[in-house]
Amino acid sequence: MSTNDNDTRGFVPEHTPRMEWAKLAPDVYKAMWQLEQAARKGLDSSLYHLVKIRASQINHCAFCLDMHTKDALAEGESVERIIQLSAWEESKHFYTRKEIAAIELTEAVTVLTDGFVPDEVYERAAEFFEEAELAHLIAGITTINAWNRFSVATRKVPGHYKPAGARS
Amino acid sequence: MRSYPSYPRTTELPAEFRTAMQALSAAAKRGLGDAALAELVMIRASQLNRCAFCLDMHLALARKAGESEERLDLLATWEETTGTYTARERAALALTEAVTVLVEGFVPDEVYERAAAQFDEAELAHLIAVITAINSWNRLMVARRIQPGGPAWT
Repeated sequence: MSTNDNDTRGFVPEHTPRMEWAKLAPDVYKAMWQLEQAARKGLDSSLYHLVKIRASQINHCAFCLDMHTKDALAEGESVERIIQLSAWEESKHFYTRKEIAAIELTEAVTVLTDGFVPDEVYERAAEFFEEAELAHLIAGITTINAWNRFSVATRKVPGHYKPAGARS
Repeated sequence: MRSYPSYPRTTELPAEFRTAMQALSAAAKRGLGDAALAELVMIRASQLNRCAFCLDMHLALARKAGESEERLDLLATWEETTGTYTARERAALALTEAVTVLVEGFVPDEVYERAAAQFDEAELAHLIAVITAINSWNRLMVARRIQPGGPAWT
């Protein structure tokens, strides 16, 4: 069933994905899960959700936003912190300094085409994360960027994701 | 005068993550089944993402595999060339650019369909995987400022 079959407001019909990449490239999908597990192992779960949501906003990944906002909410994240995330520079009091350093690094590593990762951004992150944890953070940012690319390129459909706790 | 440090910020990378990255790249390239095209894709993405380490590595690997200097020199301007790249390569390069520059918005239907006309579905899934894998390496190397010219690629 589509996400808006029962709506009477005239929403645009749901699109279909361009392809089922995970079925067409099972070895690639398996490696992606290995990346995900290896990155996640060294990161605080609530921080990692913020990183995933922010990267998915920048990369315009609808499917990933659906998944990671729902996962964050299911794990107790506040609606307010999720809503404010794309304007975090003007709403810093919703976040810790460590979270802000991670979000800034997320933005720099996600938008490489505008030029490198500034020293001040890297150094601020290095103040709050010791070297091994920082390596996991960089790995986590890289991994969500990879999921974003698969989901946007193959146009995966948002709206159907149910977080683990809500699955029946 | 601005000066840039020549050392890496860190060489740290979780061992399991490195292994998974290698598995991702290997599976992607194997499924695409066109090593020369994979190198062109990886060089173009590394240009867009300004990854010095990755450019150094993949230019060396492409040369070693017999790629011509002309095709490597003109790659950044492939759209303005005729007769230098095949229609299949051009479709792959257009897809590479769209999937690499997500921040400017989505992957256009015409770009996707142009690639879908040149690659079967499994090849296309693996082409997207090659583009994603090099984007991932670009991020790991740029973030940690890993310098070019480390190992001898040739």
